[in-house]
Amino acid sequence: MSAQGIPAALVLRLAALAVIVVFLQIGAVSEVPVFGVNADISPLFVAFVGLLCGSTLGAACGFAVGLLVDLALLQTLGVTSLIFTLIGYWCGRLRELRDPQAALTPLLVGAAASAVSLVGYSLMEFMLGVDAPVSFELVRQIVLGVLVNTVVALLMWALVRRLLEGALPEDPRRRRRRRAYTTGGLSPLSKA
Amino acid sequence: MYDKTVRRRRAVLILLVVLSLLLLTAYFGEAPGGRLHGVQRDFLTVVSPIQDGANKALKPVRDLFGWVGDTLHAKSQRDELRKQADKLRRELVADQSEKRSYHELVALYHLDQLSVGEYHPVTATVVGKSPNIWYETVTIDKGEAAGVHLNDPVVNAEGLVGKVAQVASDAAQVDLITDSTMGVSARIGRSNATGIVQPKVGDPNDLLLQYLPANTQANDGEYVVTSGTEAPQFPSLYPPGLLIGQVTSVNEESAYKSVNVHPLANLHELDVVQVLTAGSGSRPANLASAVASLPAGQAASGTSGEQLASTGAGG
Repeated sequence: MSAQGIPAALVLRLAALAVIVVFLQIGAVSEVPVFGVNADISPLFVAFVGLLCGSTLGAACGFAVGLLVDLALLQTLGVTSLIFTLIGYWCGRLRELRDPQAALTPLLVGAAASAVSLVGYSLMEFMLGVDAPVSFELVRQIVLGVLVNTVVALLMWALVRRLLEGALPEDPRRRRRRRAYTTGGLSPLSKA
Repeated sequence: MYDKTVRRRRAVLILLVVLSLLLLTAYFGEAPGGRLHGVQRDFLTVVSPIQDGANKALKPVRDLFGWVGDTLHAKSQRDELRKQADKLRRELVADQSEKRSYHELVALYHLDQLSVGEYHPVTATVVGKSPNIWYETVTIDKGEAAGVHLNDPVVNAEGLVGKVAQVASDAAQVDLITDSTMGVSARIGRSNATGIVQPKVGDPNDLLLQYLPANTQANDGEYVVTSGTEAPQFPSLYPPGLLIGQVTSVNEESAYKSVNVHPLANLHELDVVQVLTAGSGSRPANLASAVASLPAGQAASGTSGEQLASTGAGG
């Protein structure tokens, strides 16, 4: 257990996963076009880390993954970090405030994270200045990108959850809910 | 306890956002040779062997997905290619006679020693690609150690791919012609008028050849090639005659004409590319003076075909 109450095993797993996800993205996923766009698993990973581990770890993971992406692809440093930090934080807050349990939650969170990532990038680039003409196809690319990422989201969610499962800190609210389910009601007394 | 958690959470968020903004500002403000750019190049040097290994390990996965996609598109591509083959056959016959006169002109002006063959093509494998619409870049597994320099043109069998934007010792980053920062001096087939090919951000299958004189003749299907150096004081990074794409539509504008160009190189599935390395300034300078001495019209008609041939054979 680290000083801030975050298990060291979880941090190690997150670091290893972040590196694997970035290299998998750059080396394989980016080179397989689907309907003319590429899936981007890095914002999905950040979003799901936030959804599983909370806002602080989500934001930290987002920053680290973003920095890794910017370094590996020689992009403008800080752009991806900024966007991914916000995605990780927002997904973490969603868990802390609402703790959504619906089966479609990862799908919706994945779609929203992808949309924020793609639109955020475009806004940042516009703010930094674009020399080339911009096509309306950009909108289609963003929409298609979000759709493709949404399809990939469930698979990514299952993978991230499975790989982090053993290292996640126990959440008291979830523990209560699980106990209620296993005993068949809100309390063993209710059966009487 | 709750307050402490909330404070820590907010502090972490603010710290990370501020750190990102500081990085962004510092990176955006510094020159390409600056410290942060240097850190990126060092990082690329360290991770390029890993990227190379990962690329090789994941190739079967990519090939599998590629095979599915290729099979789906094969039929339409076959029909399209048949039409193209018929058209090219007709053009070949017409070009035979022009080629003969071109050779005569080349001998006349002692230009036969100048071609893309003077470059030293370095064959490289693409080991990484950016997933971002705004950064159309790929990472290759050859760098300074193989003689690759900043701004070297990058081609593949189909045509111009881009230029080297960053170099590490054993890897380099290539900006594709569809990257938002790119601009290539180009001309349409046999026309003498030159313009600038720029990408249309968001549409990786479309380029825009802009600033052509209003009276430029342009037809659908015509090839767009690099124009090379037009004025010796402004040498082009690209040798003349490298194929860029085909005209898909012509836009009539008031002062200038612009045409939409479909890139010939399949930038979605780049696997092997060639970096045209050359001694800085040697060939472009010679070529610029030689081209300048040619009578207008003749340089354009001949050079493209000859230099394309040598590009294809090179390396």
